[in-house]
Parts: sequence; structure tokens; C-alpha cells
Amino acid sequence: MDVRYPTAGSFPISASLSRRNLLRGALAAGLTVPAVPLLTACGDSAAKTNDTPGTLSMTAWEAYPEQIRELLASFKNQGGSPVDLSLIPNVGYGPALQTRLQGGQAIDVFYNFAYASTKYVDAGWAGTLNDFPGAEDLLADMFPASAARHRLADGRIISVPYFSAVHNLMYNESHLKKHGISAPPTTKEEVYEQCRKLKSAGVPSPYAGYWTKQFLEEYLLVYLLADGITPFDDKGAPVFADDPRTQDVMEWWKAMYQDGLTSKDVLTADPGNHVTAMAQGNSTFFELHHYFLQIVRTTEGPESGNVTILYRNPGTAGTTLQIGEVIQIGAKSGGQRAQDAWKLLKFYGWKDDVGKYSTFTSWAKAAALLGPYPGLFKDPDFLAAFPSYYDMPKLENTFANQSDVVPTRVAPWYASFQVKVGDRIQAMLLGQADVKETVDALATDARNLAAAGQ
Amino acid sequence: MTSTAETTSRPATRRRTSVRAQADARFGLLLATPALILVLGLVAWPGLRTAVYSLQRVSLAGEESWTGLNNFRTLFTDERFIHSLTTTVLYAVGFLLVSTLLGLGFALLLNEKFHGQWLARSLLIVPWACPWVMVGMIWKWFVDGEVGALNAALYQFGLIDSYAAPLSDSTGALVVAVLAGAWRQASFTGLLILAGLQTIPKELPQAAMVDGANVWQRFRHLTLPWLRPVIVVVVIINTIFGFMQFDTIWALTQGGPGDATSVLSIYLYEQLFVYTNIGLGSATAVVLGGIALVLGFVFVKLLYRSNAITEGVE
Repeated sequence: MDVRYPTAGSFPISASLSRRNLLRGALAAGLTVPAVPLLTACGDSAAKTNDTPGTLSMTAWEAYPEQIRELLASFKNQGGSPVDLSLIPNVGYGPALQTRLQGGQAIDVFYNFAYASTKYVDAGWAGTLNDFPGAEDLLADMFPASAARHRLADGRIISVPYFSAVHNLMYNESHLKKHGISAPPTTKEEVYEQCRKLKSAGVPSPYAGYWTKQFLEEYLLVYLLADGITPFDDKGAPVFADDPRTQDVMEWWKAMYQDGLTSKDVLTADPGNHVTAMAQGNSTFFELHHYFLQIVRTTEGPESGNVTILYRNPGTAGTTLQIGEVIQIGAKSGGQRAQDAWKLLKFYGWKDDVGKYSTFTSWAKAAALLGPYPGLFKDPDFLAAFPSYYDMPKLENTFANQSDVVPTRVAPWYASFQVKVGDRIQAMLLGQADVKETVDALATDARNLAAAGQ
Repeated sequence: MTSTAETTSRPATRRRTSVRAQADARFGLLLATPALILVLGLVAWPGLRTAVYSLQRVSLAGEESWTGLNNFRTLFTDERFIHSLTTTVLYAVGFLLVSTLLGLGFALLLNEKFHGQWLARSLLIVPWACPWVMVGMIWKWFVDGEVGALNAALYQFGLIDSYAAPLSDSTGALVVAVLAGAWRQASFTGLLILAGLQTIPKELPQAAMVDGANVWQRFRHLTLPWLRPVIVVVVIINTIFGFMQFDTIWALTQGGPGDATSVLSIYLYEQLFVYTNIGLGSATAVVLGGIALVLGFVFVKLLYRSNAITEGVE
């Protein structure tokens, strides 16, 4: 019998179904399947706007995912477009989003960290909002100080608010009374003295702060602002270094750590550790965003109920840092699609179709988050969402008059400065660098990074 | 005696077999092509792009311009990079030693017969089942200076007077980072070595015992040479993991305190995703990949030499 063994280039036309022929079919399919996405990936990733209306794509980090879905459903019920939601874990959100956008993925709307927002516009990943109807009204509705996070000095509107918060000192009222301290501190010196007194009375770690590398920059600004020190001028120059009071602030900071008034793990501990310490009575003071009061209270430790907020941060000026993250529109959305995306931005970062702050009310109910709009503090639904242990008029006053967003924080180079602050302040606290050296080095870092545009 | 027909038919058969083998080889190559395309697309292409980026200045908007070796010059004159490189070497050496020795210890222990051996063997896989980032979080709590179980245990046994916070100390943080990573890797190492130990014929240790060899001599002259190929593989894997470690350290310290645990992969992360300096980040990746490649090559050479020795003995 003549058996022919076909080579790759000489397939017999009359071949019947055999193992080899089956494999050939599989081969053809196998070649096609991986080739399609690869060829697609090799295609032009440069910006081509998508004008087609339809389902919008939105990327968010995984905070309260069910609530996000409910909000998007509510948006659709009010006549908005359907939204395809993509959630990314909080840890690694920035790199994941950056990779997707750099790879050419079209995302209509996305959460972003405020410090990255300008960089994303400059990179052509996020669009400006100036030409959309109502953009100016949205900004006009905000506390004037808050608007600087969303409108750059050159006039470009780059984002809308996702949420806002202020840094406050939380303290245990009962601890203070029990240890003969009549009133909470009004200056840094008093914070130090009270902490020493509490420490000698047996409170293990009187002062808690989220002093990990990533968050030290927030604390730098909080402590500077509290003493009335301007961190950066209008052009982003680090004028804090020219103010002699900056060194006093840093000396105080170093003493708080080196004199054992904080927990030993304060340089690496997560907020959860500090919340537990407050709830258990191992700490008396806790400096972080205002919404952590709700977390301490709901932890239901033996001391949770005694913790309250000092609405004026200890310091000669008493000013604090206002933080907040943002939502941006993808640069690839055009035409009607961009209008639909803008509608979603307005719903999510301002008011719904009937003029209510429903998204912010929803976040307030879930996590005591705020928004940068004075109108929120007049909205009964919003106010009712906060537990009674928050003094809303005082919180409003902090937002309106005693907080600063530090506009330089959205400069394209600022994220790099944050890394430097983390390294240098931790080294200073550990005694590896002296105060003057640290202040000078930080100013040099800021100038160099700004000059390099990084 | 062989007939003429038979002698002439043999080369023909060999030729036909050869043609068939070649056809099979070609056909096999064709079948492997989809997988090859995937591998090239997902590994080689990004690798090549990274190498190209390392020689360029790349803006986020996608503009690229050639800069030659500038990125590498910048790297090797950057104190932070040199510090990260040194920290990476220290970390990798510690990781390699602890994970390999601990894994070897686990394997030798679990190769012995005792009650509950099956349970102990099952437990060995638990650390390996934890993602790296989870390992970092577990260890962060374990060594916590306020409520950590390690502190509690040491305090209860009277070994310390007060709780310590190793993560707030530069040396302590690096040691904890090494131990955390090595704890997970020791589990995998133990499994590999245990598999190697199972292949030792029972007669060999028995014969050695008859010859009067003690435990150490049996381990030194029988077990260890037998395990050498496995150990070389383990060393290759552990070295590469040691150099590439990111998640555990990030979860533990974010590279701190200060820059005490800032290894190259953290430096790379910062360059790519914070400074968004794609050229410099890619150059760092090339250096890191180069180190892994060279070490891998050296260890593979060692592996083949050890195989040759084993084969020679046999």
C-alpha cells in the first residue's frame, strides 16, 4: 500500500478526515486566534477620537463598588448613557490606569489622583473641560479655594471633584480630662507638652499620624499651613524653605518622633493601626482626614465614643490642608460621545439632572466624605447623612475659610516631589539627616523637578 | 547472508524515515507556531521595546528621540540607583540563603517518617499559596511594634523587655523584608527538594549505613550530591526571585524607612509610574533583566557541569 506522508507544503487534496488533518484545522484556528489581538495591538494607538454615542466606559478604583454601580444605574435612569464600569484595585490604580491609557485604550471617564491630573492632560490622555456647557458654572458653585484644584493657572479646567476632605486633629476628650488637661491644644508646642504628660501618665503612643512615605507630603503641608507658612508661591516655587518658622515645625516633628510620643511603627503603620489605637485608648490624638472620625467611632472600641474632632488645627494660623481626588474625561471622546461623558462627569462630580447633589450625598452616607460646594452644607439630605458627632457648621467653616488646597499639588512634577518628601522626612525623623539639611534638600528637589518638568 | 534486495531496501527505508522525520519536524514546528507567536508577542516584543526605550527619551505623549547610552550614564551616576542596586544585592543574597537553607531543612524534615507527616507536608504549601503582597501584609502585622505576635511571643518568653518595631529601623526593615520573602519561597524550595529526596533509591542510604557512615556523612556524601541538580535549579529560581522582588517589600515598607529597603524594582516602579521617565525606567529594567540573565546563565552552566559530574560518576 502506498502511504504518502504529506509535508507541510504538499497537502493531498483528496485527504480525508484524519488526526493530521484535524490538527491542521486546529493549527489554522490557532494561528488566527492569537494573531488577531496581536495585530490589533500593533495597530496605531495614537489618538483617534470616538464620536459614536453609545455605552460609555468608566474606570474607577475599588472603593464602594456597589455604590458606584447604583450611581451609574441612577444616571441611566435620569436619561444618561449606559456605562461599562471597569474597577481596578486601589493599590496599583495609578500604574494600571497609566498603562491602559498609554497603550491606547479609550476610556471616556476615569477617577484620578489630583496630583496626576495635569500630567494626564499634558500627555494627551485626559481632555480639558472649558468648552463644555456648564463647566464655568460648576466651578463658580465651588468654594473659591477648592476651584484651584480643577482650574490651572493658565485657565484650563482639567477635572471635576470626586470627593473632598480636610485634615483635622481628632482627640480623646475623656483622656484629656482624666489626665488633668483642661482643653485640647491650640499650638504645636501644646501638642508636644500634652503628649509628654499623657505619655508619662501611661498612654503608650499619645500622637498618631499616617506618617508612611506616601503620606508624609500631606503632613508636611498640614503642619506648615497650621503655622501660617506658605508652602509654595503662585509659580510653584518652594518658599517654605525661606521661612525660618519651617525649621521650627520640622524640629517639633522630629521631637515628636524621637521622644517616643508616637507609636514605634508610625513610619510604616496603616491607618487601621491608628484607628485601633484610638478606639482602644492607646493614642489620644490622631491627625488625618475628617472622615476617619466615623471610622474610629464605628470601630466601637472602649474609647471610640470619646473621640471627637478639633476643627481648628493646632498652630498659630490654624489653617489645614484640603485634599480631594478627581474625575477626568478621556481625550479620545469626541462629538456626542464627549457630551455624554461630560453629562456623566456633571452627575458624578456636581449635581444630578434635577439639580441635587445626589452623588455627594451618597458618599456622605457611605463614608462621611465631603464635596467642595457650599451648597452641600445647605442641603438637608446631605447634612442628614452625617452622624451627629460631626459639627457641620464648623466643618463648613474649615472648608470655606481655614483650608488650602495648595494649587501646586496638581503641577505635573508634584508626584515626584511627594516621593522625595517621603524619603527625606523619614530620614530626618530617624536622625539620619538634620533639619536644615532636609529643608534645603526639599527645596532643591522641588526646584529641580519643576525645572525638569517631572 | 543478506540478499541484494534487502541491502538496497535498507537505505531506501532510512531515506523514507528521514523524509518522514523532517516532515514531522516541520509539521511540529507549524503546530507550535501559535504558541511561538504568543510568546514572541507577549515576551520578546515587550522585551525588545524596553531595550529600545532604554536608548531613548520617551514622552508620555508618545514622542521618542534617540539618546544613545545617556539613560545608562544617568543611572550609574545616580546615588539613589547605586543605593538601590546595593540594597538589591544584599536583599537577594539574604533571600537566596534563607529560602534555600530553610527549604532544605523543611524537605529533610518532611522526608522523615512521623505521625502527621501528611499534614505537615500539606501545610508546607500554605505560604506558597499566599500572593507576595499578602505575605508582606501578614508579616507587617506579625512584627508590628504594638500588637505583633512576634513581639508578644518574645515578651512572654522573657527574651525582650519591651516591644520592638523592626520596620521603623533601617536594618531591621531589610531583615524583615528578607525573612518575609524567604518564608514564602522556602515553601516552594522545600517542595522541590522534597521531590528530589523522594528519588533517592532506598538501598543507597542503607548501604551507606552498613558501611558505617553517620548521619552527617550520609547527608554530605550521598544526599547532597544526589540533590545537586535540584539545588542548582532552586538556586537559579531563588536568585531571580530575590532580584525581582517588589510586592512583599512594597506592602511591608514601600521601600522605607527612608530608602532602607528601596530595591531596584521599587526604583524602577518610581521611575516608570511616579517620575514617568520611561527611558530611565526601561534602562533600569534592562539592568535588572541583565543581572538575572547573567546569573541564570552562570547557574545553568553550573547545572550542566554538575550533571556531567553525576553522569561521570554513574
